[in-house]
Amino acid sequence: MSADAALIAVHDITKIYAMEGAPVHALRGVTIDIHRGEFVAVVGPSGSGKSTFMHILGCLDRPTGGRYLLDGRDVSHLPDDDLSAIRNRQIGFVFQGFNLLARTSAVENVELPLLYAHDSRISPGERRRRAMTALAAVGLENRAEHHPNQLSGGQQQRVAIARALLNDPAILLADEPTGNLDSRTSVEVMDIFQRLKKERGITIVLITHEPQVAEYGSRIVRFKDGRVVSDHPNSSRRTAAEELAAVALGAAEDQA
Amino acid sequence: MPTRSSLAIAFRALRRNRLQTSLTIIGMTIGVAAVLAMIAIGTGAEAAIEDQIRAAGMNLIVVTAGNYKVKATDDFGGGAVEPSAALRRHDDVAQSSGACEKISVVCATRVMSFFSPTLLAHPEDDPMEKHDHPTARQRLGDSEAGLGSAATLTAEDAEAIRGIRGVQYVAEGLHQNVHVKAGDKRWFTRLNGTDLHLPLIRRAWTIPSGRFFNAGEQSRAEQVIVLGSVAAQRVFSDKNPVGRDVTIWNQPFRVVGVVTTTSWMVAPAPGDDQFDAVYMPFSTVHRLLNLAKLNDITITAASTGEVSPIMSEVTRLLRVRHGIGDEKPDDFTVTTQARQALARGGLRPDVARAVVGNVSGLEKVTLEQLGKTLDRATRTMTALLAGIAAVSLLVGGIGIMNIMLLSVTERTREIGVRRAVGARARDVRSQFVLEAVVLSVTGGVIGVIVGLAAAQGLSRYLHWSTTISPVAVILSVGVAAAVGIFFGWYPAKQAARLDPIQSLRYE
Repeated sequence: MSADAALIAVHDITKIYAMEGAPVHALRGVTIDIHRGEFVAVVGPSGSGKSTFMHILGCLDRPTGGRYLLDGRDVSHLPDDDLSAIRNRQIGFVFQGFNLLARTSAVENVELPLLYAHDSRISPGERRRRAMTALAAVGLENRAEHHPNQLSGGQQQRVAIARALLNDPAILLADEPTGNLDSRTSVEVMDIFQRLKKERGITIVLITHEPQVAEYGSRIVRFKDGRVVSDHPNSSRRTAAEELAAVALGAAEDQA
Repeated sequence: MPTRSSLAIAFRALRRNRLQTSLTIIGMTIGVAAVLAMIAIGTGAEAAIEDQIRAAGMNLIVVTAGNYKVKATDDFGGGAVEPSAALRRHDDVAQSSGACEKISVVCATRVMSFFSPTLLAHPEDDPMEKHDHPTARQRLGDSEAGLGSAATLTAEDAEAIRGIRGVQYVAEGLHQNVHVKAGDKRWFTRLNGTDLHLPLIRRAWTIPSGRFFNAGEQSRAEQVIVLGSVAAQRVFSDKNPVGRDVTIWNQPFRVVGVVTTTSWMVAPAPGDDQFDAVYMPFSTVHRLLNLAKLNDITITAASTGEVSPIMSEVTRLLRVRHGIGDEKPDDFTVTTQARQALARGGLRPDVARAVVGNVSGLEKVTLEQLGKTLDRATRTMTALLAGIAAVSLLVGGIGIMNIMLLSVTERTREIGVRRAVGARARDVRSQFVLEAVVLSVTGGVIGVIVGLAAAQGLSRYLHWSTTISPVAVILSVGVAAAVGIFFGWYPAKQAARLDPIQSLRYE
C-alpha cells in the first residue's frame, strides 16, 4: 500500500432500501477518499444519507452498488462474519447515546471488543490491563469500577471512546457523539478526538448536524439527498484544547 | 470464539439481571427437584414392594432330599396327583398303559439304577426307596422322618447351588428334634443345623440380644447355639440366655443369640417352626452326629422374577451332580416356600400331596405373577409421578424461553453494541443459548440438591421409602441442560437475526 493511497476509498456507492414497495434511495452515488489521519466532519440535514454512509463505512451495512475499498481491500460484498471481524479490528464506534451496557462496570464495558477478538487469544488479565490503559487515555482510570448510571454523560462518552479505541482501530466513526452532551463536555470530547488524530494519527469520521461541532474537523463533507454537495478542507478550524484552556482561565472550574 | 469467554459473557449478562435470573432458576429448580423426588419415591416404592415380597418368602426355594411325588404316584395310584417333572416324560406311556404299567416302569428304573455303574450305588441314594434317614429314624422313632429324610443332598450340593446366577443366599438345613436343657429346665424342640446366612433369608427376623453364629464358628463346627425366642423363654424364663450354656445330647452349647420377629405376619408361638426352635451351624450337627448329608437346602433368589429359572437350574445341576440319567426321576424335590407351607400346614400328608400336586401351576401364577404385577404397577406409578413432575420441568423450560425472549427484546441495543464491536451473529446466538443453559443447569444443580433433601425428608419424617440412583441425578442435570438448549435456541436465533443498525437505533 503506497503512503498516499486512501485508507477509505468509496467509489460511486448507492444504497437503496426496499420500503413498502417504493424503494428509498438513501445514497445516490457517493465517491470520496479519506486518507490516514484525516478528521472528516460529515454534515447534512436528517435524511441526507450521512448516517447510511457511516453505516457502510463502518461495515455495519453493505452498499447496494459501487465499491468500498477499506485499506485497499474491497469490503463491499463481504459476508457478515468477515464484516464483524473488520469492525472488531479496524473500526471503533462512538454513538450519540453512548451505548454502554447497563449494570456493567466501565472497565468491563471497555473490555467488550476484546471478547470478540476471535483470532487472538487474550487472557482475562491482559484484557483488563488493556482496558485500564484505554480508560487512562480518556482520564477515567479512577472510575473503572463505576457503572454507567454512576457516570456523567461526558464520562460515559469517554468510556465509549475508550471502548472504541481498545483494538487500536485505524478508523474512529462517531455518530453525533455530542448530541446528548452540553457544550462544555462536547468540547472535551472534541478535544479527545483532536488529540487522537494528532498523537496517534487515527482517522476520524464525525457525523453531526451541528455546524459548530463540524468546525473541529480538518475537512468538512456536506451531504444532501444522498449525494455529496460539498467537500473541502476546513479553513476556520476550531481547537478544543485552546477553548478549554480559555474557559479554565476564565473560571477556575473543576473538570470531570 | 473461545468457550470460556462466551461463558464469561453469559455469566456477566445474567448477573446484571439478578431478580429475573433467580426467578427463572427457581422455576427450573422446582422442575428438576420434583422429577428427582418423584423418581426417588417411585423407585423407593418399587424397592419396598420387592422387599416385602422377599420378606413374605416369595423368593424362597427349598430343595428337599427325596422325591415324595414319585412316592405319591406309587402310593396313591397317580389319579389326581400330578406326576413330577421328571416323570412327565413317561406320560404317554403311562397314560396309555395304565397305573400297573407305570409301576412296572418305575420298578424297572429302580433295578436299573441299582446296577448302573454311573449311578450312586448306595441304597440310601435310591429315590424310589421309601426309607427314612436311618439315624433319624433311630433317634426320633416317630413319624417325623418323612419328607426330607432321604439322604441325597450334601453340603457340596449347597456349595454348587451358591454358584448359580441369580441366587442370593443358600442355607444348608439339617433338622432334629432335641431336648434342650439348662439347669433344671428342659424343653423339647426343633434343632436346625443351618448356615450363618439364615437371618438374611428370614427377613422378618430380629435378633434382640446377642448375634447369629459367625463364619468362624461355622467353619470350626463350634458348639454354639442360637435360641428361638419361644425356646429361650421356656428354658431361661426371662433371663438373658446369651453367654449361658445349654445341654443337648449331653454336650454343652454356648448360647450366642436369640432370634425373634416383630413382623405381624409371623408371631412367635410354642410349636411354631421358627421361634420354638434352636439353631446351630450345620457343620456342628454334622460333626457331633457324624452325618454327611443334608435334609434340605434353602435358597433365595435375588429377584422374585428369577424363581422359576433358578428352580429349573437347581434341578438340572443336582441331576448332573447326582448322576441321574435322563430317564430317571429326581432324587430330591425343588419347591417354593409356599408349596412347602401347604404340605406342612396341618393337612393330612396325602391330602397335602394332592393339593400340592394340583395346585403347582396355580401357585406359580399367584406368587410369581403377583410379584411381577406389583413390579409393573410400581413402575407405572414411577412413570406417572415422573411424568407429572416432567410437566413442571416443561413449565420451567417455558419460563426460561419466556425470560430469554424478554431478554432479547430488552437487550436489543446491547445486541447492537456487541455486533458493532465485532460480535458475529453466531457469537450472539451462542451467548443467548449459553445464558439459557447456565440458567437451566444452575436450576438443575440446585434442583438436585433440593430434590435429594426432599427425598431425605420424606423418608425421615413420613417414612416413605425413597431410593436415589446416581443415574437419576445425572439424568436430571442432563435433562435440565437439554431443556436450556431447547428453549434457549429460539430466542437466541431471534437475537442473532437482529440487524445491527436496527438494534443500535432501538429505543
